[in-house]
Amino acid sequence: MLFPTTDFAIFFCIVFLGHWWLNHDRRLWKIFMIGASYVFYGWWNWRYVFLLAGVSAIAQLAGTAVSRQQDQRRRMRVMALGVAATIAPLLYFKYYGFFTVNAANAGSALGLHVAPPLIQVVLPIGVSFYTFMAIAYVVDIYRREFDLASWSDLFLYLSFFPHLVAGPIVRPNELIPQIDVRRDPRHIDVVGALWLILGGLFKKVVIANYLATAIVDPVFGDPARHSGLEAVVGIVAYAVQIYCDFSGYTDIAIGVAKLLGFRFPQNFDRPYSARTVQEFWRRWHMTLSRWLRDYLYIPLGGNRKGTTRTYVNLMITMLLGGLWHGAAWHFVVWGGLHGVYLMVGHWKQEKRRAGMLAEPPDTPLMVWLQRLTTFVLVCIAWTLFRADSVATALTLLGRTIAGWGEPSPLVTMPVLLAIGVGLATQFTPHGLAERIKAGAARMNPVALGFSAAVVLFVITTLGPRGVAPFIYFQF
Amino acid sequence: MPEIPEPTTEPAPHTDDDRSAGGRAGMPAGRVFVVTVICLVVWGLLYAPELKRSSEAQPDGLRRTVSNTILGPVVWAEDRIGVTATVNAASRALGRDPNAAVGGSVGGIPVDIDQLPTVSPEPTPSGEPSQPVLVDTPLREPTPNDPLRVAVVGDSLAAGVGYFAERVFKPAFVNVIKQGRISTGLTRPDYFDWQAQMRYIMQKAQPDLTIMMVGENDQQSIRAPNGDVVTRIGTPAWGPAYRQQVQQFAETATQDGGHVVWIGLPNSSDTRRWPFVKFQNQIFQAVARQLPNVAYYDTWDAFAAKDGGYTAYFRDGGHVTLVRADDGVHFNSDGYTILMQQVAAFATTEFRLDPKTYGS
Repeated sequence: MLFPTTDFAIFFCIVFLGHWWLNHDRRLWKIFMIGASYVFYGWWNWRYVFLLAGVSAIAQLAGTAVSRQQDQRRRMRVMALGVAATIAPLLYFKYYGFFTVNAANAGSALGLHVAPPLIQVVLPIGVSFYTFMAIAYVVDIYRREFDLASWSDLFLYLSFFPHLVAGPIVRPNELIPQIDVRRDPRHIDVVGALWLILGGLFKKVVIANYLATAIVDPVFGDPARHSGLEAVVGIVAYAVQIYCDFSGYTDIAIGVAKLLGFRFPQNFDRPYSARTVQEFWRRWHMTLSRWLRDYLYIPLGGNRKGTTRTYVNLMITMLLGGLWHGAAWHFVVWGGLHGVYLMVGHWKQEKRRAGMLAEPPDTPLMVWLQRLTTFVLVCIAWTLFRADSVATALTLLGRTIAGWGEPSPLVTMPVLLAIGVGLATQFTPHGLAERIKAGAARMNPVALGFSAAVVLFVITTLGPRGVAPFIYFQF
Repeated sequence: MPEIPEPTTEPAPHTDDDRSAGGRAGMPAGRVFVVTVICLVVWGLLYAPELKRSSEAQPDGLRRTVSNTILGPVVWAEDRIGVTATVNAASRALGRDPNAAVGGSVGGIPVDIDQLPTVSPEPTPSGEPSQPVLVDTPLREPTPNDPLRVAVVGDSLAAGVGYFAERVFKPAFVNVIKQGRISTGLTRPDYFDWQAQMRYIMQKAQPDLTIMMVGENDQQSIRAPNGDVVTRIGTPAWGPAYRQQVQQFAETATQDGGHVVWIGLPNSSDTRRWPFVKFQNQIFQAVARQLPNVAYYDTWDAFAAKDGGYTAYFRDGGHVTLVRADDGVHFNSDGYTILMQQVAAFATTEFRLDPKTYGS
């Protein structure tokens, strides 16, 4: 079920009533919410609910086994086994085709007859997200940072519909304690929730969808036929599109959870205002970044084992982060490029600490120069992310240098305006939004509902007809 | 990301949460429900005319029937009290034509050729209707000054073919006019009128070659542009009526010496669709046999497994490529590229398309 649909609106009204009606009875409430979340997930394909239930069961069995081990070595072995079992379905669904095709072609190139069964494995929606949450659960039990939860708590933690399809990747200690405690029905931040939901819809329906069709898809579809200006604007437009698409989705998810009295962690914090690539990763898809840090980078040794090892760990983390986004070489190269950025950033940091490199002056000009440089680096990497192959990305990047002086019919005022609005969201003062929300909070329910309806009407009318899927659903 | 000091397992900051909740009194759940319902109901009333148009554009079925039953009286009442006119005016002010067909209006897909060609592919004496061509004629020789005009027309499959046609054909010799439109077909002119759009394309761009791929969405009753059912699906009349649509479409594209490669529908992972799709392919093939300058390209066998079943992979010697999308209907980028290369080679065989116009 997609958020911006009438199906979801009807579903949510029913769930909202059931949620607050059963709030006093935790057992019934959990059964109801698990059922609702499975209906939400099964709306795409009912067969996938068995996968969700299977991953949940594996995680709970693994967590149970880990919690029973007192000997640290045995505990670690059981945890490793549990994590392997939890991630196995994801590896199969996401990477089977990639590895069989590459194995078959490598074998053919070497003159070997390698014939793995070529079956098309369709990636179930959201599996990457809830698998990562399941791994976090098993590992946190191993680290004694979280106690074993009940079966119903764990099933609801993994399936809770607001985060189910594309995150945010919520940690066990952020959500399970909320599941266990009766939600307070007296103080729901409806204005904050509506702000997030309507703002998210605007970013997705109006900006992201428009930029996709107006310039991004044509430019990335055939870079060789587009001018240098179109190539540059197309790449920047994609940076805005993916931000508006993904942050729009998570804003809606966080807003929906808020209406049910739940608090989710933020996933984006003005990423294009970052002054370094390290800072970008602290602001972009924050819940994935910290997952990679806590469950991959730190277990690899983090920065505790010397400079070289730190670089290696950074690169491994980013390469696997790239591969997580998709089983294709251009995602791997995208991750590798970010790995290089982070290594260079780390190297500069080390040199500054040692006094071998001067700190840049903290002037407004320098701040904007750093932001611009970071944005350009991130955009170059986005080109690899969006293109369907490394070759296409290189062609497009080549056009940004060679294709100047040619007509650029795709670079129109509405395109530039949409890009401008998308980028402006990174620099709008918090105070402005707070003033608007404070004004809305003074309205009575009828006026607030009516105002929200008018805004919703404007958004749905400005956007194209139909519902385009969110980019991050494919990951 | 990994630069934050370790260990770092504390919960993530709820920065935005804290900001948004700060200083505002919350609302009880009952009132929140009132806000939500008012928001959705008022939006539903404002958006009812558009929702009704979308509902009517859906294929026949329970969802369409229920939606139309609910929305019909609402829109009828809104028409009477002037709400529709007000909402339509607001829609126009926001840049949307409320009277346009849901799938788009004719001419809504820009034909990215700025001016009419200076050289007509088959010049005809002025004022005389063009004579039917009795046998296939070759495509003209393109030059950098007068490149070949190739239109790619049809549904979402054609949209994919169009993008990769641009990559396969060389820009120096071919202008690709992408005219794919998702969710469209020949049976629902009330949703998108392909016959009218094809006439528009011919008038605006006069393509030398039109590559057509359409039909995946056509397993439904044939309707008139006003939405009335003309021929019901499942009746004996459906086949001839559909054939007439196909023939009219191809005839429009071949007027004045244009050529057509009609790409047949590929097999899909859902074998329940196969009999109908094969039936459609037979119609496309029959029309291509009947009309000059129309050739049918079979994708069914080209992309089938050795045993004739569905496969998502394409084998070229020992090299294996994943070519189909997860939905089991569309192609992925590699698939569209391979398909387009095959179609270009086929056009060389059928219409002597110069091989220098495309890369392998």
